Amino acid sequence: MYGWIWRHLPGNTWVRALISLVLVLAVVYVLFQYVFPWAEPLLPFNDVTVDNQ
Amino acid sequence: MRVVVRTVSELCLTLGVVLVLFVAYVLFWSGVRADDTMRHEIDRLRERWAAGAPPEPVPYPYGRPFSIMYIPRLGFTWNKPVLEGTDTATLKKGLGHYARTARLGQEGNFAVAGHRRTHGDPFKDFPELRRGDAVVLTDGRTWFTYRIDKGPYKTVPTDVAVIDPVPRASGYTRSGRYLTLTTCDPEWGHSHRLIVWAHLAATQPVDAGEPEALRR
Repeated sequence: MYGWIWRHLPGNTWVRALISLVLVLAVVYVLFQYVFPWAEPLLPFNDVTVDNQ
Repeated sequence: MRVVVRTVSELCLTLGVVLVLFVAYVLFWSGVRADDTMRHEIDRLRERWAAGAPPEPVPYPYGRPFSIMYIPRLGFTWNKPVLEGTDTATLKKGLGHYARTARLGQEGNFAVAGHRRTHGDPFKDFPELRRGDAVVLTDGRTWFTYRIDKGPYKTVPTDVAVIDPVPRASGYTRSGRYLTLTTCDPEWGHSHRLIVWAHLAATQPVDAGEPEALRR
């Protein structure tokens, strides 16, 4: 999978490394900004009320 | 075959990294974000009060901060905004006031919920609370000093009667000006709730300075 991505990135090794880094950061950003805030309420740490709102 | 094995192992490694990141998010990043948000909400409140804002409307605007809570037992720098409502989004920004319970300082039961863990861990040290401890709140005009009478009391998540105007199991028998705090128990679980009850012991105008309970 990663090999396939690497082969399909343009440019020489340095350019590919840079693009890879940007891609990784973009994925981490999406995870922290959108995916994790969505998933976190599914954990039990949010249940602090007695009327289950 | 090799390609399949390699792809599967790459996916497993990726999943592992994502899970580690998620744990980091829950344990650390949610707290950083929450501390930042709560500070922002407190700043907003103070600005509004400094500008001489009118008293909060009835009912309090949902999802908005209307008060700051101080509990010296949880630390002299411990102060959190109290927002109207107890839904997930509101509790990310501070403590949440049960919308159907009494207003701050009024006759009845002013009930507030807060996170034990994650989102800034506001009620992490909840079990340290003892009878006689002060819970101080302000709405920008008045300081309200509540004194804890009972708790922490452990109960089940469906025990709605603990936030009744005269809370069940609190020991109060007559109506009065009460405060109830709720959080989850155990620390990282949701099988139970911890409750403390307090009564309004003193009020003073903001102009008269901080109440005694907040002085070192």
